[in-house]
Amino acid sequence: MKLSTRDRLGDFLSYVFMAVMFVFFSWPLIWLLSMALRTRKEVFLGVARLIPKYPTLDNFSAVLTSSQFPVYLFNALKLSCLSAVGCLIIAAPAAYAFSRFDFKGKGAWMLGILAFQMISPLVIMVPLYRYMSRLGLIDSHFGTTMVYIALGVPMVTWLLKGYMDGIPKSLDEAALIDGCNRLSVFIRIILPLSTPGVASAFIITVIAGWSQFLVPFLLITKDSLVPIGVGIFQYAGTQNASTIQVLAAACLISVVPAIIAFLALQRLILSAMTAGAVKG
Amino acid sequence: MSARAVRPKLSFLGVAGRHNRVPSPYPWLMPVILVMGLFYLYPVVDVFRYAFTDLTLLGGEGHYTLSTFANVLTRPELLQIVWVTFVFTAGSVVGQQLIGLAMALVVVRAEKRHLFGTTILRTTALIAWVVPGIAGGIIWKMLFNEAPFGGLNSLLRLMGMAPVQWLSDPDVVMWSVVLSNVWRGTAFSMVVMYAALKAIDPSLYEAAEVDGASARQKLFFVTLPQLRPAILVNMILITIQTLNTFDAIISLTGGGPGRATEVLSLYTFNVVFRNYDLAAGSVLSILMLVISLGLALVYASFLPKDEKA
Repeated sequence: MKLSTRDRLGDFLSYVFMAVMFVFFSWPLIWLLSMALRTRKEVFLGVARLIPKYPTLDNFSAVLTSSQFPVYLFNALKLSCLSAVGCLIIAAPAAYAFSRFDFKGKGAWMLGILAFQMISPLVIMVPLYRYMSRLGLIDSHFGTTMVYIALGVPMVTWLLKGYMDGIPKSLDEAALIDGCNRLSVFIRIILPLSTPGVASAFIITVIAGWSQFLVPFLLITKDSLVPIGVGIFQYAGTQNASTIQVLAAACLISVVPAIIAFLALQRLILSAMTAGAVKG
Repeated sequence: MSARAVRPKLSFLGVAGRHNRVPSPYPWLMPVILVMGLFYLYPVVDVFRYAFTDLTLLGGEGHYTLSTFANVLTRPELLQIVWVTFVFTAGSVVGQQLIGLAMALVVVRAEKRHLFGTTILRTTALIAWVVPGIAGGIIWKMLFNEAPFGGLNSLLRLMGMAPVQWLSDPDVVMWSVVLSNVWRGTAFSMVVMYAALKAIDPSLYEAAEVDGASARQKLFFVTLPQLRPAILVNMILITIQTLNTFDAIISLTGGGPGRATEVLSLYTFNVVFRNYDLAAGSVLSILMLVISLGLALVYASFLPKDEKA
């Protein structure tokens, strides 16, 4: 009996804690949505109109029919998808080698690749900006994509290696006996079996690319070429209190694709993200 | 050790004769090596080279000199920048780690008791985590709006409290920035702690139960010691992430008011891309690298010895 009152108290405290945390994490997003749905007048009424009396979608249509925003969104989609494909093409063979071959210094190679992730993108952008401007790759989606790829390769290599480790080696061996060479084992057997791992690596890289700011901010100056991260930053800089509701709508539009992509593959992404940290 | 090394070779001998050579991994690694070499290794080497020159982004070849180093490291504002970076990083890391751990503990308990709402809480926190840094900064700027209709001040007014100058008071602004960073980053720590909690051997709890341990004793003598490696690894990851944070601050405060929230990464950015001082920026980049590496080594030295192997 005593135990059960105690459990009930524990349950109560758990609920209180979870409620507080829920408010903390959801409030900014609720506020953003609330602002985005308001008319200009209601913006000035603060929290009293959390649920707007006269909700409107005008802010969204203003953003989506503007001349720049659809272009920003398209640029972000293009850059992040291209770089995700590039990442996979570059990382998959290495992941296969790390998963299947035993060679000297394998652990060191893998750690070395991971260690690059510790380096701030800002550090490499200092010289890269100089190279890119000398090569004429400023304002080029090609140059920007290449940098995105480099930023994504370490994690994708680790993710795919982890996934391929789960595919039995006996499949490789059987195919080798049947006369396949390593390349065709990789292309015909391992890659198709890795589809879920490849898909989650793809989505994670797309989300990372969608969130990119620094690289395109530096490498792209033409307004018609910038992706949404840079576009919305520059747009925010030109706004004032009277257009905050439009900025909120723009912000929401820029965030929602990443959220949807994440939610669709939440389970896969989470197991991939934590595997490295928990295994140490 | 030796048995381990021999086994893969034996399995190759078992395979058809013409495939019994161990294949070279290097053709497979070549794309990664090329990309990482071109975009990471070569630039980092160049950062070290630039640091010993007086190069600017305005052109010219520059000359080799040691004076950039001396000049940058003796700048009067540098101490302030490093202090701001320290407060921002320490506040964010401690906040994310503590809240992340508490959330993971509560979620695990709540799941055991079949309480309602764990999935909603987890998903909400993770949505905050997926929000891009720039957008996160813009969202929090709306919340911190100091006008009476701001997202937090109007809440405070509703509760009869005085408004806070979230972004213009130099003593408050750092905590506002830390708060927004904790909002965005905590989900990662929560997920890592959750996975680590799930990986603890349940028989340890059974043994503690048999010994009559209280819930608090179980937390301090079973759970926390078992979590130690995961906590340290998580701290390394979030510390480096926080040190490199740049977009969330540039869109929230831009480093201001004054230099109150100008962290090292933002300062480096300003030096290179606003003052065009490539050499000084390279010295600062090296400083960033040294700090990251140093902190990672400090944390790693706390890892249990067997974890390193």
